[in-house]
Amino acid sequence: MAHRKFTVEVLTPEGEAFAGEVEMVSTRTTLGQIGILANHAPLLATLEPTELRLYTSESQILRFAQAEGYLQVGGNHAMLLVEEAVEPGSLDAAKLQARLEEAERELDAAGDDTEKRRVVERDKRRAQAFLQIAEAG
Amino acid sequence: MASQRDVRNRISAVKNIQTITRAMEMVAAARLRRAEQRIEALRPYADAIRRMTSQAAEAAAAGVPKLPILSEHAQVARVGLLLVAGDRGLAGAFNSQIVRAGVAAGRQHEAQGAAPVYFASGRRPAASLSFRGVELAASFTGFTDRPAYADARRIAERLMAAYVDDEVDRVEILYNGYVSPISQVVRRETLLPLQQASLLADAGDGAGGEQPAGTGGEQATGGRPRTRRATPDYEPSPEEILRRLVPDYVVISVFRALLESTASEHGARMTAMRNATDNAGTLIEDLTLQMNRARQAAITQEIMEVVAGAEGIG
Repeated sequence: MAHRKFTVEVLTPEGEAFAGEVEMVSTRTTLGQIGILANHAPLLATLEPTELRLYTSESQILRFAQAEGYLQVGGNHAMLLVEEAVEPGSLDAAKLQARLEEAERELDAAGDDTEKRRVVERDKRRAQAFLQIAEAG
Repeated sequence: MASQRDVRNRISAVKNIQTITRAMEMVAAARLRRAEQRIEALRPYADAIRRMTSQAAEAAAAGVPKLPILSEHAQVARVGLLLVAGDRGLAGAFNSQIVRAGVAAGRQHEAQGAAPVYFASGRRPAASLSFRGVELAASFTGFTDRPAYADARRIAERLMAAYVDDEVDRVEILYNGYVSPISQVVRRETLLPLQQASLLADAGDGAGGEQPAGTGGEQATGGRPRTRRATPDYEPSPEEILRRLVPDYVVISVFRALLESTASEHGARMTAMRNATDNAGTLIEDLTLQMNRARQAAITQEIMEVVAGAEGIG
Protein backbone atom coordinates (compact mmCIF):
# COMPACT_ATOMS: atom_id res chain seq x y z
CA MET A 1 0.00 0.00 0.00
CA ALA A 2 1.70 3.13 -1.15
CA HIS A 3 0.90 6.32 0.69
CA ARG A 4 0.70 9.77 -0.76
CA LYS A 5 3.81 11.79 -0.10
CA PHE A 6 4.17 15.19 1.48
CA THR A 7 7.07 17.52 2.22
CA VAL A 8 8.89 17.54 5.53
CA GLU A 9 11.55 19.82 6.90
CA VAL A 10 13.60 19.06 9.98
CA LEU A 11 15.44 22.15 11.21
CA THR A 12 17.91 22.41 14.06
CA PRO A 13 19.85 25.44 15.31
CA GLU A 14 22.88 23.92 13.59
CA GLY A 15 21.20 23.69 10.22
CA GLU A 16 18.85 21.52 8.24
CA ALA A 17 18.78 17.85 9.20
CA PHE A 18 16.32 16.75 6.53
CA ALA A 19 14.20 18.24 3.76
CA GLY A 20 12.24 16.18 1.29
CA GLU A 21 9.22 14.04 0.64
CA VAL A 22 8.04 11.32 2.96
CA GLU A 23 5.01 9.08 3.37
CA MET A 24 4.84 9.28 7.13
CA VAL A 25 6.47 11.01 10.08
CA SER A 26 6.47 9.33 13.44
CA THR A 27 7.43 11.23 16.57
CA ARG A 28 6.18 12.02 20.05
CA THR A 29 4.41 15.16 21.22
CA THR A 30 3.89 16.19 24.82
CA LEU A 31 0.56 14.37 24.68
CA GLY A 32 1.89 11.17 23.16
CA GLN A 33 3.08 9.27 20.11
CA ILE A 34 1.93 10.72 16.79
CA GLY A 35 2.06 9.68 13.15
CA ILE A 36 1.58 12.26 10.40
CA LEU A 37 0.37 11.26 6.95
CA ALA A 38 -0.29 13.44 3.90
CA ASN A 39 -3.13 15.96 4.24
CA HIS A 40 -3.00 15.94 8.01
CA ALA A 41 -5.09 18.62 9.74
CA PRO A 42 -3.17 21.77 10.73
CA LEU A 43 -1.40 21.24 14.02
CA LEU A 44 1.02 22.98 16.32
CA ALA A 45 2.57 20.79 18.98
CA THR A 46 5.53 20.53 21.34
CA LEU A 47 7.81 17.53 20.85
CA GLU A 48 9.53 15.44 23.46
CA PRO A 49 12.86 13.63 23.15
CA THR A 50 12.29 10.42 21.25
CA GLU A 51 13.21 8.53 18.12
CA LEU A 52 12.05 10.42 15.07
CA ARG A 53 11.19 8.20 12.12
CA LEU A 54 10.75 9.47 8.57
CA TYR A 55 9.23 6.89 6.24
CA THR A 56 10.55 7.96 2.87
CA SER A 57 9.03 4.86 1.26
CA GLU A 58 7.46 1.56 2.29
CA SER A 59 10.81 0.01 3.07
CA GLN A 60 13.01 2.99 3.81
CA ILE A 61 13.00 4.60 7.21
CA LEU A 62 15.28 7.44 8.28
CA ARG A 63 15.87 7.51 12.01
CA PHE A 64 17.04 10.35 14.19
CA ALA A 65 17.46 10.81 17.91
CA GLN A 66 15.42 13.92 18.46
CA ALA A 67 15.60 16.34 21.39
CA GLU A 68 12.79 18.69 22.45
CA GLY A 69 11.18 20.76 19.78
CA TYR A 70 8.08 21.83 17.95
CA LEU A 71 5.97 20.44 15.17
CA GLN A 72 3.96 22.52 12.77
CA VAL A 73 1.70 20.87 10.20
CA GLY A 74 -0.38 22.63 7.59
CA GLY A 75 -0.87 22.91 3.84
CA ASN A 76 0.41 19.37 3.36
CA HIS A 77 3.76 20.36 4.80
CA ALA A 78 5.30 19.40 8.12
CA MET A 79 7.99 21.40 9.83
CA LEU A 80 9.89 20.01 12.77
CA LEU A 81 12.00 22.37 14.82
CA VAL A 82 14.17 20.34 17.14
CA GLU A 83 17.12 21.30 19.29
CA GLU A 84 19.04 18.28 18.12
CA ALA A 85 18.58 15.63 15.49
CA VAL A 86 21.42 13.12 15.44
CA GLU A 87 21.81 9.76 13.78
CA PRO A 88 21.33 6.96 16.28
CA GLY A 89 24.66 5.49 15.19
CA SER A 90 26.60 8.49 16.43
CA LEU A 91 25.20 8.35 19.96
CA ASP A 92 27.58 7.33 22.72
CA ALA A 93 25.76 5.15 25.25
CA ALA A 94 28.48 5.43 27.90
CA LYS A 95 28.48 9.21 27.71
CA LEU A 96 24.69 9.33 27.92
CA GLN A 97 24.72 7.00 30.91
CA ALA A 98 27.18 9.32 32.64
CA ARG A 99 25.00 12.32 31.88
CA LEU A 100 21.93 10.57 33.17
CA GLU A 101 23.69 9.74 36.45
CA GLU A 102 24.92 13.31 36.75
CA ALA A 103 21.39 14.59 36.21
CA GLU A 104 20.12 12.26 38.94
CA ARG A 105 22.77 13.53 41.35
CA GLU A 106 21.93 17.15 40.53
CA LEU A 107 18.27 16.40 41.01
CA ASP A 108 18.96 15.25 44.57
CA ALA A 109 20.83 18.47 45.24
CA ALA A 110 18.28 20.83 43.66
CA GLY A 111 15.71 22.34 45.99
CA ASP A 112 12.02 21.71 45.49
CA ASP A 113 10.10 23.96 43.17
CA THR A 114 13.12 25.84 41.81
CA GLU A 115 13.85 26.68 38.21
CA LYS A 116 17.02 24.65 38.58
CA ARG A 117 15.01 21.52 39.34
CA ARG A 118 12.89 21.95 36.24
CA VAL A 119 16.02 22.34 34.12
CA VAL A 120 17.66 19.21 35.49
CA GLU A 121 14.48 17.19 35.06
CA ARG A 122 14.39 18.15 31.41
CA ASP A 123 18.03 17.14 31.02
CA LYS A 124 17.30 13.81 32.61
CA ARG A 125 14.35 13.05 30.32
CA ARG A 126 16.49 13.79 27.33
CA ALA A 127 19.41 11.64 28.45
CA GLN A 128 16.97 8.82 29.17
CA ALA A 129 15.34 8.97 25.76
CA PHE A 130 18.66 9.17 23.92
CA LEU A 131 20.10 6.33 25.96
CA GLN A 132 17.16 4.15 25.04
CA ILE A 133 17.68 4.90 21.36
CA ALA A 134 21.41 4.26 21.63
CA GLU A 135 20.86 0.92 23.31
CA ALA A 136 18.18 -0.15 20.87
CA GLY A 137 20.28 0.87 17.85
CA MET B 1 78.32 44.33 17.21
CA ALA B 2 76.66 40.93 16.87
CA SER B 3 78.68 38.34 14.99
CA GLN B 4 77.49 36.87 11.72
CA ARG B 5 76.63 33.61 13.40
CA ASP B 6 74.46 35.31 16.07
CA VAL B 7 72.51 37.18 13.45
CA ARG B 8 72.05 34.07 11.35
CA ASN B 9 70.67 32.20 14.36
CA ARG B 10 68.23 34.98 15.05
CA ILE B 11 67.07 34.97 11.44
CA SER B 12 66.32 31.27 11.54
CA ALA B 13 64.46 31.67 14.86
CA VAL B 14 62.31 34.44 13.43
CA LYS B 15 61.67 32.34 10.32
CA ASN B 16 60.40 29.51 12.51
CA ILE B 17 58.04 31.87 14.29
CA GLN B 18 56.85 33.17 10.94
CA THR B 19 56.04 29.65 9.78
CA ILE B 20 53.99 29.05 12.91
CA THR B 21 52.08 32.31 12.77
CA ARG B 22 51.35 31.78 9.08
CA ALA B 23 49.96 28.30 9.84
CA MET B 24 47.85 29.70 12.67
CA GLU B 25 46.50 32.37 10.36
CA MET B 26 45.40 29.75 7.86
CA VAL B 27 43.81 27.56 10.53
CA ALA B 28 41.92 30.60 11.84
CA ALA B 29 40.75 31.45 8.32
CA ALA B 30 39.36 27.96 7.78
CA ARG B 31 37.61 27.97 11.17
CA LEU B 32 36.25 31.44 10.50
CA ARG B 33 34.51 30.21 7.35
CA ARG B 34 32.91 27.37 9.28
CA ALA B 35 31.83 29.73 12.05
CA GLU B 36 30.25 32.07 9.49
CA GLN B 37 28.30 29.17 8.02
CA ARG B 38 26.99 28.26 11.45
CA ILE B 39 25.68 31.79 12.00
CA GLU B 40 23.84 31.43 8.70
CA ALA B 41 22.49 27.99 9.63
CA LEU B 42 20.83 29.33 12.77
CA ARG B 43 18.79 31.91 10.91
CA PRO B 44 16.05 29.70 9.40
CA TYR B 45 15.53 28.00 12.76
CA ALA B 46 15.26 31.30 14.63
CA ASP B 47 12.84 32.65 12.01
CA ALA B 48 10.66 29.55 12.22
CA ILE B 49 10.55 29.80 16.02
CA ARG B 50 9.50 33.43 15.68
CA ARG B 51 6.70 32.59 13.23
CA MET B 52 5.50 29.82 15.46
CA THR B 53 5.43 32.14 18.44
CA SER B 54 3.35 34.68 16.55
CA GLN B 55 0.92 31.96 15.55
CA ALA B 56 0.59 30.58 19.07
CA ALA B 57 0.25 34.07 20.54
CA GLU B 58 -2.59 34.86 18.14
CA ALA B 59 -4.36 31.68 19.18
CA ALA B 60 -3.83 32.12 22.91
CA ALA B 61 -6.83 33.81 24.47
CA ALA B 62 -4.75 36.01 26.76
CA GLY B 63 -1.81 36.49 24.41
CA VAL B 64 1.62 35.61 25.72
CA PRO B 65 1.29 34.32 29.30
CA LYS B 66 3.01 36.32 32.02
CA LEU B 67 6.08 34.16 32.50
CA PRO B 68 8.60 34.94 35.25
CA ILE B 69 11.35 35.62 32.71
CA LEU B 70 9.15 38.25 31.05
CA SER B 71 8.30 40.20 34.16
CA GLU B 72 10.62 42.87 35.42
CA HIS B 73 11.78 42.78 39.01
CA ALA B 74 10.53 45.74 41.01
CA GLN B 75 13.95 46.47 42.47
CA VAL B 76 17.24 45.93 40.73
CA ALA B 77 19.74 45.14 43.47
CA ARG B 78 21.93 42.69 41.55
CA VAL B 79 22.73 42.64 37.85
CA GLY B 80 24.11 39.53 36.21
CA LEU B 81 26.80 40.18 33.60
CA LEU B 82 27.65 37.38 31.20
CA LEU B 83 31.01 37.94 29.53
CA VAL B 84 31.43 35.90 26.37
CA ALA B 85 34.96 35.49 25.00
CA GLY B 86 37.41 32.70 24.19
CA ASP B 87 39.29 29.83 25.79
CA ARG B 88 42.55 30.81 24.16
CA GLY B 89 44.59 33.94 23.59
CA LEU B 90 46.72 35.07 20.64
CA ALA B 91 43.75 36.88 19.19
CA GLY B 92 44.63 40.53 19.63
CA ALA B 93 42.25 42.51 21.82
CA PHE B 94 39.46 39.95 21.44
CA ASN B 95 39.46 38.75 25.05
CA SER B 96 40.73 41.83 26.83
CA GLN B 97 38.17 44.22 25.34
CA ILE B 98 35.33 42.05 26.68
CA VAL B 99 36.84 41.93 30.16
CA ARG B 100 37.41 45.67 30.07
CA ALA B 101 33.86 46.38 28.91
CA GLY B 102 32.50 43.96 31.52
CA VAL B 103 34.36 45.58 34.38
CA ALA B 104 33.27 49.03 33.15
CA ALA B 105 29.65 47.85 33.00
CA GLY B 106 29.97 46.48 36.52
CA ARG B 107 31.24 49.81 37.79
CA GLN B 108 28.41 51.59 36.05
CA HIS B 109 25.88 49.36 37.84
CA GLU B 110 27.62 49.90 41.16
CA ALA B 111 27.30 53.63 40.66
CA GLN B 112 23.57 53.11 40.24
CA GLY B 113 23.38 51.07 43.42
CA ALA B 114 23.25 47.58 41.93
CA ALA B 115 25.86 44.93 42.62
CA PRO B 116 27.28 43.17 39.56
CA VAL B 117 27.26 39.36 39.51
CA TYR B 118 29.70 37.98 36.97
CA PHE B 119 29.24 34.97 34.73
CA ALA B 120 31.87 34.01 32.18
CA SER B 121 31.90 31.93 29.04
CA GLY B 122 35.44 31.11 27.98
CA ARG B 123 38.57 30.36 29.98
CA ARG B 124 40.17 33.74 29.26
CA PRO B 125 37.55 36.04 30.74
CA ALA B 126 37.11 33.62 33.66
CA ALA B 127 40.86 33.72 34.39
CA SER B 128 41.13 37.51 33.94
CA LEU B 129 38.26 38.16 36.32
CA SER B 130 39.59 35.78 38.96
CA PHE B 131 42.97 37.47 38.62
CA ARG B 132 41.34 40.81 39.32
CA GLY B 133 39.84 39.31 42.45
CA VAL B 134 36.31 39.25 41.06
CA GLU B 135 34.21 36.34 42.22
CA LEU B 136 32.38 34.44 39.47
CA ALA B 137 28.89 33.08 39.98
CA ALA B 138 29.51 30.53 37.24
CA SER B 139 31.90 29.96 34.38
CA PHE B 140 31.43 27.88 31.26
CA THR B 141 34.50 26.72 29.36
CA GLY B 142 35.79 24.20 26.87
CA PHE B 143 33.62 24.88 23.84
CA THR B 144 34.40 28.34 22.49
CA ASP B 145 36.08 26.91 19.37
CA ARG B 146 32.84 25.30 18.34
CA PRO B 147 29.89 26.05 20.62
CA ALA B 148 26.95 23.63 20.43
CA TYR B 149 23.33 24.54 21.01
CA ALA B 150 23.44 22.43 24.17
CA ASP B 151 26.17 24.75 25.52
CA ALA B 152 23.98 27.76 24.89
CA ARG B 153 21.09 26.03 26.59
CA ARG B 154 23.20 25.22 29.63
CA ILE B 155 24.25 28.86 29.96
CA ALA B 156 20.80 30.28 29.26
CA GLU B 157 19.12 27.91 31.70
CA ARG B 158 21.59 28.77 34.42
CA LEU B 159 20.89 32.48 33.86
CA MET B 160 17.13 32.02 33.70
CA ALA B 161 17.21 29.95 36.89
CA ALA B 162 19.25 32.71 38.54
CA TYR B 163 16.71 35.27 37.37
CA VAL B 164 13.60 33.33 38.35
CA ASP B 165 15.04 32.18 41.69
CA ASP B 166 15.87 35.85 42.53
CA GLU B 167 19.63 35.44 42.47
CA VAL B 168 19.81 38.39 40.05
CA ASP B 169 17.28 41.03 38.99
CA ARG B 170 18.54 41.62 35.47
CA VAL B 171 20.97 39.93 33.12
CA GLU B 172 23.17 41.56 30.50
CA ILE B 173 25.37 39.85 27.97
CA LEU B 174 28.61 41.25 26.55
CA TYR B 175 30.20 39.68 23.51
CA ASN B 176 32.20 40.46 20.39
CA GLY B 177 29.64 41.03 17.64
CA TYR B 178 30.78 39.75 14.28
CA VAL B 179 30.81 42.45 11.62
CA SER B 180 33.45 41.18 9.21
CA PRO B 181 36.63 39.11 9.39
CA ILE B 182 38.61 42.21 10.30
CA SER B 183 36.04 44.03 12.39
CA GLN B 184 34.44 43.04 15.69
CA VAL B 185 32.47 45.30 18.00
CA VAL B 186 31.69 44.79 21.65
CA ARG B 187 27.93 44.41 22.02
CA ARG B 188 26.07 44.78 25.27
CA GLU B 189 22.50 43.54 25.34
CA THR B 190 19.86 42.95 27.95
CA LEU B 191 19.04 39.26 28.10
CA LEU B 192 16.61 39.18 31.02
CA PRO B 193 13.89 40.18 31.56
CA LEU B 194 13.02 39.26 28.02
CA GLN B 195 11.28 42.11 26.23
CA GLN B 196 7.81 41.05 25.23
CA ALA B 197 7.96 43.30 22.18
CA SER B 198 10.89 41.35 20.82
CA LEU B 199 8.90 38.11 20.80
CA LEU B 200 6.40 39.19 18.23
CA ALA B 201 8.40 41.63 16.13
CA ASP B 202 8.47 39.92 12.78
CA ALA B 203 11.41 41.71 11.30
CA GLY B 204 13.81 44.08 12.94
CA ASP B 205 17.44 44.85 13.18
CA GLY B 206 19.46 44.16 16.29
CA ALA B 207 22.72 45.50 14.94
CA GLY B 208 22.67 48.52 17.24
CA GLY B 209 24.24 48.63 20.67
CA GLU B 210 21.65 48.39 23.43
CA GLN B 211 18.94 46.41 21.70
CA PRO B 212 16.97 43.80 23.56
CA ALA B 213 18.72 40.55 22.78
CA GLY B 214 15.64 38.85 21.42
CA THR B 215 15.38 41.00 18.35
CA GLY B 216 18.26 39.28 16.63
CA GLY B 217 18.91 40.74 13.25
CA GLU B 218 17.07 38.63 10.78
CA GLN B 219 14.29 39.09 8.36
CA ALA B 220 11.54 36.58 7.76
CA THR B 221 12.65 34.27 5.00
CA GLY B 222 10.32 34.33 2.07
CA GLY B 223 9.83 31.43 -0.25
CA ARG B 224 8.70 28.84 2.30
CA PRO B 225 5.15 27.71 1.78
CA ARG B 226 2.98 29.50 4.27
CA THR B 227 1.45 26.81 6.39
CA ARG B 228 -1.55 28.60 7.83
CA ARG B 229 -5.04 28.07 6.51
CA ALA B 230 -7.63 26.40 8.70
CA THR B 231 -7.51 26.90 12.47
CA PRO B 232 -4.93 24.43 13.64
CA ASP B 233 -5.12 22.03 16.55
CA TYR B 234 -2.84 22.72 19.47
CA GLU B 235 -1.16 20.00 21.46
CA PRO B 236 -1.05 21.06 24.25
CA SER B 237 -2.83 24.44 24.49
CA PRO B 238 -1.32 27.53 22.84
CA GLU B 239 -0.50 28.87 26.31
CA GLU B 240 1.48 25.76 27.18
CA ILE B 241 3.30 25.88 23.84
CA LEU B 242 4.25 29.51 24.50
CA ARG B 243 5.52 28.54 27.93
CA ARG B 244 8.08 26.41 26.10
CA LEU B 245 8.73 28.74 23.18
CA VAL B 246 9.49 31.89 25.14
CA PRO B 247 12.52 30.56 27.06
CA ASP B 248 13.88 29.32 23.74
CA TYR B 249 14.35 32.95 22.75
CA VAL B 250 16.87 33.37 25.52
CA VAL B 251 18.69 30.21 24.47
CA ILE B 252 18.74 31.31 20.84
CA SER B 253 20.05 34.76 21.84
CA VAL B 254 22.84 33.18 23.85
CA PHE B 255 23.60 30.74 21.03
CA ARG B 256 23.78 33.56 18.52
CA ALA B 257 26.13 35.47 20.81
CA LEU B 258 28.34 32.38 21.21
CA LEU B 259 28.46 31.83 17.45
CA GLU B 260 29.22 35.47 16.71
CA SER B 261 31.86 35.50 19.41
CA THR B 262 33.49 32.41 17.91
CA ALA B 263 33.51 33.92 14.43
CA SER B 264 34.96 37.13 15.90
CA GLU B 265 37.61 35.16 17.75
CA HIS B 266 38.78 33.41 14.60
CA GLY B 267 38.67 36.71 12.70
CA ALA B 268 40.67 38.48 15.39
CA ARG B 269 43.19 35.65 15.54
CA MET B 270 43.53 35.65 11.78
CA THR B 271 44.30 39.38 11.79
CA ALA B 272 46.65 39.12 14.76
CA MET B 273 48.56 36.26 13.17
CA ARG B 274 48.77 38.02 9.82
CA ASN B 275 50.28 41.04 11.54
CA ALA B 276 52.70 38.78 13.38
CA THR B 277 53.71 37.15 10.09
CA ASP B 278 54.23 40.56 8.48
CA ASN B 279 56.25 41.78 11.44
CA ALA B 280 58.40 38.68 11.29
CA GLY B 281 59.01 39.43 7.60
CA THR B 282 60.15 42.97 8.38
CA LEU B 283 62.37 41.69 11.16
CA ILE B 284 63.96 39.14 8.84
CA GLU B 285 64.71 41.89 6.30
CA ASP B 286 66.35 44.04 8.96
CA LEU B 287 68.36 41.15 10.30
CA THR B 288 69.48 40.11 6.82
CA LEU B 289 70.69 43.64 6.22
CA GLN B 290 72.51 43.56 9.51
CA MET B 291 74.09 40.24 8.63
CA ASN B 292 75.25 41.47 5.24
CA ARG B 293 76.73 44.52 6.87
CA ALA B 294 78.59 42.35 9.37
CA ARG B 295 79.85 40.13 6.58
CA GLN B 296 81.02 43.09 4.53
CA ALA B 297 82.75 44.59 7.54
CA ALA B 298 84.56 41.32 8.09
CA ILE B 299 85.67 41.19 4.45
CA THR B 300 86.82 44.79 4.48
CA GLN B 301 88.73 44.12 7.64
CA GLU B 302 90.43 41.13 6.03
CA ILE B 303 91.41 43.08 2.90
CA MET B 304 92.82 45.87 5.02
CA GLU B 305 94.84 43.33 6.95
CA VAL B 306 96.16 41.75 3.75
CA VAL B 307 96.99 45.14 2.25
CA ALA B 308 98.68 46.27 5.44
CA GLY B 309 100.61 43.00 5.53
CA ALA B 310 101.73 43.40 1.89
CA GLU B 311 102.82 46.96 2.53
CA GLY B 312 104.78 45.79 5.53
CA ILE B 313 106.68 43.32 3.40
CA GLY B 314 107.12 45.66 0.45
